[in-house]
Amino acid sequence: MKTISNRLYAWIDERVQLKDLVAFMAKKYVPVHRGSIWYYFGGVSLFLFIIQVVTGILLLLYYKGSESLAFESVQFIMSKVTFGWLIRSIHSWTANLFILSALIHMFSVFFERAYRRPREVTWLTGMLMLFVGLGFGFSGYLLPWNELSYFATKVGTDIAGVIPVVGKPIMIFLRGETDVTGATLSRFFGFHIAVLPGIFTVLLAVHLLLVQRQGMSQPQEFEATPAENRKTMPFFPNFLLRDLLFWLIILNVLAMLAVFFPWELGRKADPFASAPAGIRPEWYFLFMFQSLKYIPARLWFIDGEIFGVLLFGAAGLLWLLVPFWDRKSSGGKRNRLITYIGLFVVVYIIIFTLLGWFL
Amino acid sequence: MRSIVCVAAVCAGVCAPTALALDKCLVCHAAVADKPSSLFARDIHHLKGISCAGCHGGDASTDDMEKAMDRGAGFIGVPKGDSVSAVCARCHSDATTMAGYQSTLPTNQYVLLQSSVHGKLSISGKERIVQCTTCHNAHGITKVTDPASPVYPVNAAATCARCHGDAKFMRLYNPSLPVDQLEKYRTSVHGAKNAAGDAKTAQCASCHGSHDILSIKDVKSKVYPTNIPTTCASCHSNAAYMASYAIPTDQFEKYAKGVHGVALLEKHDLGAPACNNCHGNHGATPPGVESISKVCGICHALNADLFSSSPHKKGFDEMKKPECETCHGNHGIVAASNVLIGNSSGSVCSRCHSEKEREKGFVAAGVMRMLIDSLQRADDRARTLVDEAEQKGMEISEAKYKLRDVRQAQLETRTIVHAFSSEKLRETTGKGFAAAAVITVEANSAIDEYFFRRIGLGAATFSITVLAVSLYLYIRRIERKQRQAEASH
Amino acid sequence: MLTMNEHISTPADGGKRDFLKYILGGSLIAWASSVLYPLFAYMRPPVQTEVEVSSVKAGKLSTFDKDSGTIVRFGNKPVILIRTSTGEFRSFSATCTHLDCTVQYRKDMGVIWCACHNGKYDLNGHNISGPPPRPLDGYRVIIQGDDIFISKQT
Repeated sequence: MKTISNRLYAWIDERVQLKDLVAFMAKKYVPVHRGSIWYYFGGVSLFLFIIQVVTGILLLLYYKGSESLAFESVQFIMSKVTFGWLIRSIHSWTANLFILSALIHMFSVFFERAYRRPREVTWLTGMLMLFVGLGFGFSGYLLPWNELSYFATKVGTDIAGVIPVVGKPIMIFLRGETDVTGATLSRFFGFHIAVLPGIFTVLLAVHLLLVQRQGMSQPQEFEATPAENRKTMPFFPNFLLRDLLFWLIILNVLAMLAVFFPWELGRKADPFASAPAGIRPEWYFLFMFQSLKYIPARLWFIDGEIFGVLLFGAAGLLWLLVPFWDRKSSGGKRNRLITYIGLFVVVYIIIFTLLGWFL
Repeated sequence: MRSIVCVAAVCAGVCAPTALALDKCLVCHAAVADKPSSLFARDIHHLKGISCAGCHGGDASTDDMEKAMDRGAGFIGVPKGDSVSAVCARCHSDATTMAGYQSTLPTNQYVLLQSSVHGKLSISGKERIVQCTTCHNAHGITKVTDPASPVYPVNAAATCARCHGDAKFMRLYNPSLPVDQLEKYRTSVHGAKNAAGDAKTAQCASCHGSHDILSIKDVKSKVYPTNIPTTCASCHSNAAYMASYAIPTDQFEKYAKGVHGVALLEKHDLGAPACNNCHGNHGATPPGVESISKVCGICHALNADLFSSSPHKKGFDEMKKPECETCHGNHGIVAASNVLIGNSSGSVCSRCHSEKEREKGFVAAGVMRMLIDSLQRADDRARTLVDEAEQKGMEISEAKYKLRDVRQAQLETRTIVHAFSSEKLRETTGKGFAAAAVITVEANSAIDEYFFRRIGLGAATFSITVLAVSLYLYIRRIERKQRQAEASH
Repeated sequence: MLTMNEHISTPADGGKRDFLKYILGGSLIAWASSVLYPLFAYMRPPVQTEVEVSSVKAGKLSTFDKDSGTIVRFGNKPVILIRTSTGEFRSFSATCTHLDCTVQYRKDMGVIWCACHNGKYDLNGHNISGPPPRPLDGYRVIIQGDDIFISKQT
């Protein structure tokens, strides 16, 4: 056994100079401290993304992306295709878990200030991947073409249309027409399986490359302790095996979710039916959706909705650019303000999501 | 000149002295022997002491014509149009006046007439279609119970037919109304008895009313479909009234409990038959039907067709049995159920078929009932399985839709039994069995899938747990070794 | 010969290591199959219930000229209906037995002809020339009044 693997290794090394890479990787270490558990969530997000790609490709074998066939093809997958129910439910559940994991990853990076110099681009690519992930969620949600997804898309693209100046063209670009129709479905399908994956892959490559090149970020307290007292563990095999263990457990959880909480089929979308009661977007958009409800219809000279959209846009932009305006952290000093801002955002999101869910 | 005539009339002594003494108008007019006065001699108003002036106004106590027929004294001449009925109503709508004559007559006739269909404007546009005198005549009015009255039951039909049998006249008002009701009526039992002089039997007014006649499309009309059963029952359920006739009086009771009665009277389904739909309106049977026993086929055409080509047709004709009624009843028709066919208690087949008598039918009945019951059980089973699969959260909409096919087959068996052929029934139930079989298979595989998923999950979880635990132990071992290696350095 | 085995395994160690490695390896294989089996089973197309068609109405007698051939849809398969010059009706499967192209009637040649590789069948469906290895399946033609029906050969 060992001789075969040795021979294989030698064969590849001859062509690719694997030895240098292996030497580099063997030196990779992971800081061990109070916040080490958060290191896993980047990998978990990656794992969930890979699951999405695999289940997504499998779904492609049977899904038909046209208005008259979409719902029926999903019904077919859920009822007639062997393990179709499993693949589809895993795909839908993983979508939600991916966003959750990405958010946890983002907040842990934020609170650990891991975005500070020299990891600004890592942060940027990560944030952009989160936005693309939300785009994945939004476009994918329409594909089963059921009542909920049809109206959720209508409302979502309506809100996009509210942005001043560029809003209407964006809305028409998204919808393919002035209304949500089969053209929207085709477009979203194209975005979901080709455009967004392409963009995401590029961002992911840059992100991973940077992480490998720069190594794991160390918290400021960790950097403060003297070198001898710093606890670390090697990436290979310790952290990787732990990572895999975590992934295994998540995979099992997904299987359980698929069996005990299968994703619903709903009713086929009917553009001429009235919106069902309790229509609302997926949970990850809920806090914004709920916030918009509380903004008064008119604020001075601005329409309430436009104000809300612009406010969230500005907040998102500030958040995106945090590595550049948080000079204190980049300079190596503790910045309590970041912690307070982060806490406020987390609490706000949680409260408004709950409000949107239960009200 | 006139006064001489009047005196002459007095001497002629045409009228009774007392009446004559009061009614000078009549004295003169009788002397010239004009039609109204000869009629009036027998008129009930005259017998009650009411003079010509009672209606025409004027002064009945004087011989002097000018004085008698003086407009100033209230003389109105010959009333025309609505004034006629107004004159009648002056007394007949006044309860006090009527009481003064010890009359027990109602006083609402005029009001009723005005809101009835006859109270509508005539084509002249100046008066109502019908006045009191149209039916009761003007001068020879007698009690309704008097055989001489035009509205005496025996005479009523002819009175109505004066207008309603006149095609030219009726065309002016309602061209769609038939004008042969009288002829048709005479073919019916009611009409025949009426012609023979029976005053108890139904005539036009019995069903349509007298003063309060409303269009048959009016919900308040006595002959509106939902009211017809009660209208007929007002005589036919009255045992005392019907005592002299040899027919039962429980038809309405039975009908009200049967399918047709419930449909019409409780659910207000105007498609359900009332008495007239089977027994005819005016004629003995509905048009185009040879006898009441064949009337069901008007609505239940397919069943009647199947029956006609079945072996029962010849048998029933020979035995002079009515076709549908024999098994289903006539008035108290019970909703059909599977029990009706077969050899069990409650089945009608055993009335004629047994193991010894007409065995072929006995056997066929048994086979047919068995098939119908089996199909019902197959339907129940399929439904239970689909429900179970649905409760378990499995996607089963196709099989659920197919359940309609089984119900459809069951409905078709209800019709095809009337061919009384077990082969034909087997064909029909076969479709239902095939559908139920497919549904059962699909539902069972959905239920199996439910368990398969959970068992599969259990197996996968087991292998993952073992893998996770062993991986964890492996990690621990590696790290232990690393710590040992570090410690030894 | 200690180069390959840097660690000299003590009996206790070896026993535990082997056991754990076996369990690890075994459960890894079990888990891998529990993941791969659904993926591959998923890719196998599910059985589609085919709607059984036993007969179709081809049309009215008058619409078919003598010495002509028409392709008629029978469920989801094509069937060719030939009316010979004597007025007789014949029907065969229109799927060529060579490589499944749809055949046609050639009036000029008086045969059923396949355009893909020049296969020829006579008016009894027998393969007479070209690559087709077997004759065409026959179908029954039933004439009811003015209507032509094609049904399966039972």
